[in-house]
Amino acid sequence: MLPFEVGEILTSPILHYSKKILAPKMTDIEGSPGSSMHGVTGREPVLAFSVASPIVPTDTTAKFDLPVDSEHKAKKFKLFSFANPHMRTFHLSWISFFTCFVSTFAAAPLVPIIRDNLNLTKGDIGNAGVASVSGSIFSRLAMGAVCDMLGPRYGCAFVIMLTAPTVFCMSFVSDASGFIAVRFMIGFSLATFVSCQYWMSTMFNTKIIGLVNGTAAGWGNMGGGATQLLMPLLYEIIRRAGATPFTAWRIAFFIPGWLHVVMGILVLNLGQDLPDGNLGALQKKGDVAKDKFNKILWYAITNYRTWIFVLLYGYSMGVELSTDNVIAEYFYDRFDLKLHTAGVIAATFGMANLLARPFGGFASDYSARKFGMRGRLWTLWILQTLGGVFCILLGRANSLPFAVTNMIIFSIGAQAACGATFGIIPFVSRRSLGIISGLTGAGGNFGSGLTQLIFFTSSKFSTATGLTYMGFMICACTLPVTLVHFPQWGSMFLPPTKDVVKGSEEHYYAAEWNDDEKSKGMHQNSLKFAENSKSERGRRVASAPTPPNTTPNYV
Amino acid sequence: MAAALLLVSSILFSCLAASCHGVTLSSLQKTLIVFVTASPSPGQVLKAGEDSITLTWSFNNSFPARTDSAYKTVQVKLCFAPISQQDRAWRKTEDNLVKDKTCQYKIVAKPYSPSNNTFSWTVQRDVPTGTYFVRAYAYNSADEEVAYGQTTDAHKTNNLFQVKAISGRHVSLDIASICFSSFSIVSLFGFFFLEKRRAKHSQEN
Repeated sequence: MLPFEVGEILTSPILHYSKKILAPKMTDIEGSPGSSMHGVTGREPVLAFSVASPIVPTDTTAKFDLPVDSEHKAKKFKLFSFANPHMRTFHLSWISFFTCFVSTFAAAPLVPIIRDNLNLTKGDIGNAGVASVSGSIFSRLAMGAVCDMLGPRYGCAFVIMLTAPTVFCMSFVSDASGFIAVRFMIGFSLATFVSCQYWMSTMFNTKIIGLVNGTAAGWGNMGGGATQLLMPLLYEIIRRAGATPFTAWRIAFFIPGWLHVVMGILVLNLGQDLPDGNLGALQKKGDVAKDKFNKILWYAITNYRTWIFVLLYGYSMGVELSTDNVIAEYFYDRFDLKLHTAGVIAATFGMANLLARPFGGFASDYSARKFGMRGRLWTLWILQTLGGVFCILLGRANSLPFAVTNMIIFSIGAQAACGATFGIIPFVSRRSLGIISGLTGAGGNFGSGLTQLIFFTSSKFSTATGLTYMGFMICACTLPVTLVHFPQWGSMFLPPTKDVVKGSEEHYYAAEWNDDEKSKGMHQNSLKFAENSKSERGRRVASAPTPPNTTPNYV
Repeated sequence: MAAALLLVSSILFSCLAASCHGVTLSSLQKTLIVFVTASPSPGQVLKAGEDSITLTWSFNNSFPARTDSAYKTVQVKLCFAPISQQDRAWRKTEDNLVKDKTCQYKIVAKPYSPSNNTFSWTVQRDVPTGTYFVRAYAYNSADEEVAYGQTTDAHKTNNLFQVKAISGRHVSLDIASICFSSFSIVSLFGFFFLEKRRAKHSQEN
């Protein structure tokens, strides 16, 4: 068992370390530890759907539906196929994650009914919202370890089937504390995000893993939108079938619960951990030089950029989660809409993830081609601030059409900013990418909890005012991105340092290793990464030869 | 005298007609008297779906005789008392009746008659737990509020009654919930141990 596993939250690096132990020798760059990175040069298609053969050789002896590489990971992403194991895994994985989003936010569109049944105050509703996003901070941490020990198939199945009882528990809830407790427990299910990303990286080649992971994450997040449509519809049907309102909403919760059970069974029966089989058959020890967890942690937390992005993600992803929780109730109360109408409008917020998040990543990559890292930083700032401005306007809108328009632009801004954030994260550190990605993800949930606590729990101001204040906070908390400075690439306003040594990519990434480690050659992969990252200079990149390297890894 | 009254009421009506934003409560005359008698006994907490209240309303004869000439229908509603509105902005009282959320449950609508109005109402099953009073609105033929009356005083402090909502829980739901939960846990661990056993078996063979 690798010593740093427990801390690694982004699982691609974990698996790549395991792969190093298990898999046959392969070329330096593909599949090497933590190589889920973003080293695109201007010459490669950014959102690649497939990898051509000379770049990554196909294993012709393998009998899979898709062309595979030497590790039997798919080189092609065939969206509408369910073939075993690669595409089937993709669909099982994203649908499981989607299901967990559905159940975590299932209460939100039904709050107008639940608040009457349980006699909730605004504070109770706000606290329940905070609880729903807080649980997953911890469950995601544990999930990395579970995936390493039991494999992503069991990781996913355990979480989804053990949280199914918590969803069914809604039928027992009779007061505010019960409601908060159950929402907290259901929130644990969002750990499927980790198993989803981990599982994708066992099945897809690193060159296309960016698109695959980004699509899976975005489509999973859509669950937060789909639930705003689904739950009021179910409630309406059950009520018309004869149930009283205070019973109908409880019955409606059975459907997400059943989805959990069904997906768990499908994952167990149809899924497999690795292209060649299940993890149990492949547990062997290797003799690779293992990195130390406390070292990786040290370099993650002492890099100030980590904390800036933790804050920023709290105000892009965090704000998205908070809005998922409050927006349906807001439209219901402010504009006197019917429950399912409010649900439809709220759904458009979450469903924008289908395209908005990949768009953010794409915008980041596109601006990097011309302006390098500075372009990425500006793109992130522009998208996130745009989201903030339209959040302010959403709170101030007094008419329904304006409110809906502002909400849609706000959603695009916030979700694209999520995608753009993970266009930059892989460059913050090479050694500690996993932990930084994990901290950033946790920052998203933490930001959501904090925002709901400050702006949507107090009765001192209305939800509309809360939205406006949240918009101001988004704009304010996005400003620190101006402070992110890379010596080799500069920042939003400052140019790169003129010092020849300090201004090189190699110096930045090799600085994470001490002399002792360098003498052991542990920093070799960082140097390779540094070479590939020269694309972040933008148009200043001289015509350097293009070593084969990986595509964006969106988380 | 009658002419002056007609003038006043016609001015009042035209004011009401002009305000497209809706009638405000403060502009209405409190010309109706509404009584509620809870059954089985006053002061007892009423159970939604089981207990009932009896309402009577009539025109307050201390007002001039022709004041109610425009009243066509009466709607009686169940309204939240201030204590049930605390920390719950979705039940907020606004003077503008279009925006007002105080009275969310309709009890009955009847054609207007100055006296002899009674109605017995079983508290509906979707009424939440809380403290309430009853208000009756009189509408004119254009369906606008023109007068009202309520069981409590202007500050909504006396003559309030309490309702206890149904829980919404059912034994059958609880049992179904437990069944599906156990199924989920049992099938997960069952599958896990079965697969472990199969792996051990194939290793031994």
